[in-house]
Amino acid sequence: MTDHLTLTTTHTDGPLAVLDVGGEIDIQTAPALREEALALIAQGHPHLILDLTGVTFCDSSGFNALIGIMRCATAAHGSLTLAAVPDRLLRMLDLTGLSAIMPSYPNTETAMNSHSASTPEPA
Amino acid sequence: MSGLSAASPDGPRLSQVPLAGAEAARMAAVRRYDILDTPPDGAFDRVAAMAARLFDVPVASVTIVDADRIWFKAIHGLDGVAQIGRDPGLCGSAILRDDTLVIPDTLSDPAACANPLVTGPLGVRFYAGAPIITSDGHRLGTVNVLDTKPRLITEADTETLADLAAMVLDALELRLSGLRLLRAEQERRKVEEAAREQAERDTEAITAFATTLQRTLLPPALPTVPGLELACHYQTDSPRDVGGDFYDVFPLGGQRWAFFLGDVCGKGAEAAAVTSLTRYTLREAAQHHENPTEVLNALNSALLLDPSIGSRYCTCVFGTLQPAPGGGFTVTLAMGGHPPAFHVQHAEGDDGGLSVEGVRPRGGMLVGALEGARFASHTFHLAPGHGLLLYTDGLTEARLPDGTMLGEEGVAAFLTARTAPDAGRLIEDTIALITGLPAGPGDDVALLALSVPLMPPDGQPATASMTRTLATTPADDTARAGQEH
Repeated sequence: MTDHLTLTTTHTDGPLAVLDVGGEIDIQTAPALREEALALIAQGHPHLILDLTGVTFCDSSGFNALIGIMRCATAAHGSLTLAAVPDRLLRMLDLTGLSAIMPSYPNTETAMNSHSASTPEPA
Repeated sequence: MSGLSAASPDGPRLSQVPLAGAEAARMAAVRRYDILDTPPDGAFDRVAAMAARLFDVPVASVTIVDADRIWFKAIHGLDGVAQIGRDPGLCGSAILRDDTLVIPDTLSDPAACANPLVTGPLGVRFYAGAPIITSDGHRLGTVNVLDTKPRLITEADTETLADLAAMVLDALELRLSGLRLLRAEQERRKVEEAAREQAERDTEAITAFATTLQRTLLPPALPTVPGLELACHYQTDSPRDVGGDFYDVFPLGGQRWAFFLGDVCGKGAEAAAVTSLTRYTLREAAQHHENPTEVLNALNSALLLDPSIGSRYCTCVFGTLQPAPGGGFTVTLAMGGHPPAFHVQHAEGDDGGLSVEGVRPRGGMLVGALEGARFASHTFHLAPGHGLLLYTDGLTEARLPDGTMLGEEGVAAFLTARTAPDAGRLIEDTIALITGLPAGPGDDVALLALSVPLMPPDGQPATASMTRTLATTPADDTARAGQEH
């Protein structure tokens, strides 16, 4: 809990936004992640990609935040995609069956490619 | 030295006796200062010494007059005298008047001449005593000077003696205010201590309440299931936290039984509410749905419907048991985002080795997190000689000495090397695994083990050597298997 959570929106493109997440996601920092992601959804970016490259720790609070974000994104007819997911979180996603509905990719680039391939831009 | 003063010739000192009411009020004042029988105090010793020096007399004292004695707070010039009787004539008389009593020659004073200090070995001939008078007019005692030869003192000397008595009162007041501060501080400490003790009792009561609540969230005892051995273990990380781990075993009617074990996300009262809702929903749904995945669907809907629960969810394994024709049970396990159960049996061959296999139907999702969540089930044969271990992630996420998590692999490896396919042994050995870790589990742990004994109670040998795990694919026709919904 010494690391702060860093949140940086690195890219927006129509309904898509990429949020870089760094540091530790725990009971103290998870609400900030949730708020930032929900703000992006509210600003018209319901398709979120979270780049977790800089995440050094993520416990069940972080896991809860991801579920909350996904629920909101889905309610706004969007989606949540993860990039560079830490091993432990990847195991939790597999175990809980969420990997099927919260796709993850090795990095943001492949996540974006896959996203544009699967999600047609609105006319 | 002008204005020589002799004993007042008109003072009928002998006849002066204390009035009962005034004496009672005086004694109350004496007690208020709480000075009687206290150890020597430099402030009073200095007054006695100063009086002896100023008056150039061999003996000077500071006395407090108690109900039945004259007690020396300080005495100069006489060792070993702590108190004397309240005889009239000297101090006993000085205490009865507001001005200073001066007796130039005791032998010529009708009251003093009979006083033991005069008639005794000390042979007091001169006495002067100024009363110590409180601001509300009570005379506590005296400051006295005594000599063995008669003498006269000036009015200025008399005033000096009165001033010394006033200084003694100042010292007594100072001491009393110090005492009051000390008592207030002790009182405050006592109140604080009482508050702290109350808080401790409250904490104990809350802990006891949480423990009781925790117990109500668990089945009081496992039922007796014919042909099956059951064992369980439950431990919370903190005695006060109501954990979110739960399990149960209950009959479905006929010879069918159901069991479940799970873990509600979070801790505390809110998690306890979800735990409670989950247990009752599972028990209820199991009566209406034959298929375990449908039971989890029902739980998913119930958790999502409950408005007070919001985004709380759980991981859960729910299973049914049906006696199998050849012995043992046909088990159908539905998984909702829960770590795999371990199916334990003796390995093929005669070396006595164990096979520990994770039962993990693919794709079972968290329960209560998402609309339309999918759950997966798997059907297999729990044959005589087989055991099944269910656990919560407090076990797999327990930390090894190097900081890494035990993991499913770690648990499986430990069980393979150590345990037996017997419910009691499975629980015993798994507890040994947890308690052997330096950091303990660090989270709540629930364990539930089921096993089918090799020898049924009627003594008929079971077909243990023929046991095998059945039905890992939907194509297998031996049992309904591997359904995914």
